[in-house]
Amino acid sequence: MADEYETDKKKSHRERQAGRKAEKKKKKKELLQNDQEKSNNPKAFAINSVVRAERKFRRGQDVQTKKQHIPVVDRTPLEPPPILVVVVGPPKVGKTTLIQCLIKNFTKQPLTSIKGPVTVVSGKKRRITFMECNNDINSMIDLAKVADLVLLLIDASFGFEMEIFEFLNICQVHGMPKIMGVLTHLDMLKENKTLRRIKKDLKHRFWTEVYQGAKLFYLSGILHGEYLKNEVKNLCRFISVMKFRPLIWQTSHPFLIADRMEDLTPPEEIRQNPKCDRTVSLYGYVRGIPLNRHSTVHIPGCGDSKLADVCFLPDPCPLPDKLKKRSLVEKERLIYAPFSGVGGIVYDKDAVYVELAGSHSHKKSRESEPERKLVSSIVDTKLTLDEKIAQSEVQLFSNTKPIVASEFQDDLKPCPNESMEVDHPSHIRHDKNTSLAENDEDASDSDNSDSDDEMHGAENEVTSDDGADSSDEDESDDAEVDSDYSSANDHDESMGESCERLEHGEESETDNDSDSDGSVFEAKDSNVNWKSNLAMKAADAFVERQNSSANLWNLVYGYNPMDQSSDSEDNENEIGGLFRVVRQKQQSKLEEKDTMDSVDSSKFPIKQLKDWTNESIKESIRDCFVTGKWKASEDASELLRLDDLTDEDEELYDDFEDLETGEKHTVESAKKPSKDDDETELDDSKEPEEPMTKEKLMEKKRKLKEKFDAEYDDKTGEGSSYYDDLKQEASKQAELNKSMFEGLEDEVRVELEGFRSGMYVRMELTQMSCELVTNFDPTYPLIVGGLQSGEETIGYVNTRVKKHRWYGKIMKTNNPLIISLGWRRFQTIPVYSKLEDNLRHRMLKYTPEHVTCHMHFWGPITPAGSGLLAVQDVATREPGFRIALTGSVVDTNQTTKITKKLKLTGEADKIFKKTAFVSGMFTSTLEAARFEGAKIRTVSGVRGMIKKALPKPEGAVRATFEDTVLKSDIIFCRTWYQVEVKKFYNPVTSLLLSPDAKNAWKGMKTVGELKRERGIRSEPQYDSMYTPINRKPKFFKPLKVPKELKAALPYKDKTKDFYTGRSNLKKQRVAVVRNEHETEIAALMRRISTNYKEKRKKQQEATHARIEALKKKKQAEELKALKNQKIMKKKIFTILGKEEKKKQQKEARSKR
Amino acid sequence: MKNVKSNLLEFKGSNFFRQRLILSVLSAKPIRITDIRSKSDEPGLAEFEINLLRLIDKLTNGTVLEVNETGTTLYFQPGMLTGGKFDHECCKQRAIGYYFEAVLAFAPFCKKALEITLRGVTNNKIDPSVDSLKTGALPLLRRFLIIDPGIDLKIRKRGMEPEGGGEIHFVCPNLKQLKPIQIKDFGKIKRIRGTAFSLRTSPVLSNRVIDGIKSVLLNFIPDVFITVDHLKGQNAGKSPGFGASLVAESTAEVFYTADQVCNIPPEPRSVPEDLGKELAFRLCEEISRGGCVDSSYQSLVCLWMALHQKDVSQCLFGPLSPYTIQFLRHLKEFFGVTFKLEPFVQDDEDDFDLKQGSNKVLVTCVGTGFNKIA
Repeated sequence: MADEYETDKKKSHRERQAGRKAEKKKKKKELLQNDQEKSNNPKAFAINSVVRAERKFRRGQDVQTKKQHIPVVDRTPLEPPPILVVVVGPPKVGKTTLIQCLIKNFTKQPLTSIKGPVTVVSGKKRRITFMECNNDINSMIDLAKVADLVLLLIDASFGFEMEIFEFLNICQVHGMPKIMGVLTHLDMLKENKTLRRIKKDLKHRFWTEVYQGAKLFYLSGILHGEYLKNEVKNLCRFISVMKFRPLIWQTSHPFLIADRMEDLTPPEEIRQNPKCDRTVSLYGYVRGIPLNRHSTVHIPGCGDSKLADVCFLPDPCPLPDKLKKRSLVEKERLIYAPFSGVGGIVYDKDAVYVELAGSHSHKKSRESEPERKLVSSIVDTKLTLDEKIAQSEVQLFSNTKPIVASEFQDDLKPCPNESMEVDHPSHIRHDKNTSLAENDEDASDSDNSDSDDEMHGAENEVTSDDGADSSDEDESDDAEVDSDYSSANDHDESMGESCERLEHGEESETDNDSDSDGSVFEAKDSNVNWKSNLAMKAADAFVERQNSSANLWNLVYGYNPMDQSSDSEDNENEIGGLFRVVRQKQQSKLEEKDTMDSVDSSKFPIKQLKDWTNESIKESIRDCFVTGKWKASEDASELLRLDDLTDEDEELYDDFEDLETGEKHTVESAKKPSKDDDETELDDSKEPEEPMTKEKLMEKKRKLKEKFDAEYDDKTGEGSSYYDDLKQEASKQAELNKSMFEGLEDEVRVELEGFRSGMYVRMELTQMSCELVTNFDPTYPLIVGGLQSGEETIGYVNTRVKKHRWYGKIMKTNNPLIISLGWRRFQTIPVYSKLEDNLRHRMLKYTPEHVTCHMHFWGPITPAGSGLLAVQDVATREPGFRIALTGSVVDTNQTTKITKKLKLTGEADKIFKKTAFVSGMFTSTLEAARFEGAKIRTVSGVRGMIKKALPKPEGAVRATFEDTVLKSDIIFCRTWYQVEVKKFYNPVTSLLLSPDAKNAWKGMKTVGELKRERGIRSEPQYDSMYTPINRKPKFFKPLKVPKELKAALPYKDKTKDFYTGRSNLKKQRVAVVRNEHETEIAALMRRISTNYKEKRKKQQEATHARIEALKKKKQAEELKALKNQKIMKKKIFTILGKEEKKKQQKEARSKR
Repeated sequence: MKNVKSNLLEFKGSNFFRQRLILSVLSAKPIRITDIRSKSDEPGLAEFEINLLRLIDKLTNGTVLEVNETGTTLYFQPGMLTGGKFDHECCKQRAIGYYFEAVLAFAPFCKKALEITLRGVTNNKIDPSVDSLKTGALPLLRRFLIIDPGIDLKIRKRGMEPEGGGEIHFVCPNLKQLKPIQIKDFGKIKRIRGTAFSLRTSPVLSNRVIDGIKSVLLNFIPDVFITVDHLKGQNAGKSPGFGASLVAESTAEVFYTADQVCNIPPEPRSVPEDLGKELAFRLCEEISRGGCVDSSYQSLVCLWMALHQKDVSQCLFGPLSPYTIQFLRHLKEFFGVTFKLEPFVQDDEDDFDLKQGSNKVLVTCVGTGFNKIA
């Protein structure tokens, strides 16, 4: 790809203007045009087939809808945090070199030793943090979760290594950041052809892994230990224009990549106990969503902790202020990398650190000039704020005397006494205030923030300026109010509480409103008998108090962040400061005691109802009803009047200055009827209404028109589908999110919306283990991940996982596994299961090879849908792929329901017809009783049911079957046994390990590993052992047919006892005992027979010999005859041949 | 684990017991409440509070409760909100509204659809009545949804103190997410509706109540219409009594509610006309407080405003009630959310002051980024 961006420019092509070629082209063009006219057949695209048209339309819609995504509210702040570029790759591919080159390109100065994140300003609107990922799988996992862009370095001379694939897989699981491949070591390939082939091969492999057309960058070689300048420049360009899409985890959690760490523990404590818990402050840019001050965070590799304190600091690497220039000035090319020892002056909450960088210090001082200016300006300040304000001058109009602040104060002094005027401050005063706030640079920040809200600004000014003067009057008023309240206090408890709070609220706030309250009360007192309405007045006061935002804040939160910067601090620094704090505490304690056990009801407490039939009271809500008066923009009669007005004056729009008189007439005439309606009210409000000038009317008209347009224009337009509406809503919300707190000060904003991303913050963490500090290694990423509420807790997590197809083994239930989920990495003991059709989780001993299964484990609660991956081991570098499982969270809960099958077997003791007493199935009667009604079965398939547990043999039951069972039948009961998931959760604390232990962390070992280590072989199960089977020969009883039956049978079917008969005969014979004579006879007979046998034998042998001889003789004779025959034949044929010859000769002769 | 302990929040006293439990469950932070009525004659948790704990235990999975012998100390470690189908007998010391407010706070955040039947006292003097919840609180919840998936509350039976016997049925389908709201327009009241009920008493009483109501409200607006809900047999609960509830509807779909019931026996009998008048006064008070939210449900709205994505929500309240004020403080403690509170200033286009009751408070907050766990 780099080739495309090679900068050598070639001469561009110039088209011929005249000559043959130009004419030719002209002709061609004309021809084409004519053709087009001809081919514009109107019928060509008309609907031919309705069905096809419908299908076409449907397909079109399908394609269109598929492209749509649910619109997400864009939450990127105006000043985004630096993008995080992570450089990943196996060792020795040139990661560090690349980072060095990139930094050099951005900042124009080399950075020799790089440790940890390096932030640079890359352009007018973008900053980049570079981070190198070392070859530890822990770092790879952590960085994949936070990276915006990944530069994946690949050694082209070697090809892809396992780390690359592992990292890609990690990325896929934790939300895919942008990935850009970078091929290095291309100069190692000498031959051009192989280079091209390898480039192509690697590119296509990379594409299959990431996506088709993913960017792969080529760094063709190294010159003086650096990559080629042009190529690096191109890479930089790519990086600085890259766009990113939001990743779910990152846009739902705040996080921070610490680029600086300080140990705040007192050195004395460390000296006493080097292993004491440390207080640590971490610094970095907030990323993701705004970080809440009170949230819990997780540091991957260290653990959970609560944020002790967070505060934001001035940006150490700010974006350039002016956007007019085309490129950055040298000064603005900032670099910030405290871990690598770069960063110049570093501000802290209570200290300033200055980096003293030896002989190169002059260089660095130049970069940090803006900061220095700031410091010097602070140091130079000689006057206090009040003095400055007093000195400041404002000129309202040209040619007038400038107004000095002190004059202004004098003007305001009598103010608090005039109760009515305070409610309606005159216009002049407004202008003064706002202009003062705008023009005066030294004015306190609060003034600036308030300048948007005129009313408010005015009030604040008054309080700060003449607090001392007005306090006397205030107190007298307060005293009145207090006395009222104290009596009311007896009257009812809950109101009393509010009154007390009011009291102390007033003390801190000497506000105009309280004055007006007082005066209002006085007025009322004169009318009504004051004692009767005490409670009501208290209630009124409670309500009245909520009419300024400062009061509201005070009321609810006990302090007011709006004035925090100026007023409250001043007050606290005053003499009474200490006393006040104590008093407040006592107050709050008292309050707490009062309300501690009161009734818990959400209703608004009303103790004394006003008499709403009273005309004056009735009047106060008159306009809440449709029958009351409407706003000018909504009032129908008013609108009509406006319409008439404008119709009349239509042609006079152009120059309305002349028409004042005529216009006045119309206003008055139109007003008359409305005046009649409510004369009493209008008296006060009329005065401002009087100058109803043309401008105002125009303004009103414009607003109305806008409203009308908004209502009707969109509806007529075609783009108002549901999707468009959603999109519009999302963008509206995004706009609102950005604009809502725009004018506020950062201190207040932080309170309201948290530390928004892009802010540079310092967070303090207490009670961190000392290893975090002592074993700190900046090359390992230190990420602080914010946790949402509920994510700090631990429970059972149900996930859907699949064994990775590249992982060699299958996983076994109850073997410990290291899982990366959310921010965390931890070891746990999972149980695998299969979700069956009846929604039962059935335990699996091993993960299936190619399909997903469920995995339950005890771990941190994480929202459903978050991805997870598991590795068996983070330490050993076994050859092969290390990621064992990938999947996502399905559900979290505090209980699990995984079962495995359990077969209980028993035998039938006693068998009646269809009932049997089964024993051996259960161990106790109690257990048996639990199974009453359970289904049972025999091996042969006879089904039955357990009826009742028997008392006598322990664990026996009475059961019935559908058929008689045999005694030899095995009866079994199928049940499900709940499998317990072990509560083991062990975070992998890789950051706390010493450097040499980092690569050796093992955690819990698997049973297999332990057995192998200790040489334990598992005991064989006797049930499943092979033993020789000794089978006794089976004897069958003879078949016995009763005599009578035998007799009755026909012969065919009768049992035949031939065999039996013979054997019987033998057995029936009587043994013969011979006498002497008989013995002699027998002996003689034996001799004779022996003799005879011998003779016969000899005769036979002789016969055999004779026959043999005869055979031989015959054979010989035959042979002889054959021979003779042959000779004879020969003779005959010779004679025949001769005769034939003769004949032929004769014939030949005769022919001649 | 270390962090679980450090999350523990400690409180004192029995007040705002519900808020603390609700927020504890939603934030998954354990709480310890000590000194519960420790100085009272009847120390410890009251029966209705224990009943509430039971209800929460039903709605959640894995809740751990530890109460000491006297009941003055409670340790509560919340489980997970599951949802499902439940049936709960509420304690008769408090009305169903007391429990239902808690249920309503949980409903959008349950894993599964929630279907719950609550039995007990439907109307009493201290808690919002079921009618008020139905007409006042449910429309507020609907405002936080893109489409209403069928949230429904049915009042099947009514029951008065002391015996109760009322029953309501609440259905809330699984809601994926709440959306941020921006409500600043409270419109003008266009109609007033209501129900007057009489249980185990003469139906004439409710008519007399209506007379009382109309005598006041017709001075303001002609469109006042109140239905009589005379229940018979089992539906009328177990104790006699009568009462009414009113709802004022504005042109901007804002509802203000008020309700009142008769005194129960030991106290002197209440006169129906006077009750009606008082109720009308209460509604007027509510209207004068105004805002876009009924004052009883400010806290619920605050909760829903805080618990969604990091988006800005804005709502106009009447004066904050003491309950809401405490709720806001609790929200800060549990979730770290601070609300921006400012007095509401009408658009400057108005040249004259409208008489719209007391000052309004504009409440703005950024969501916590809360997402429903599973």
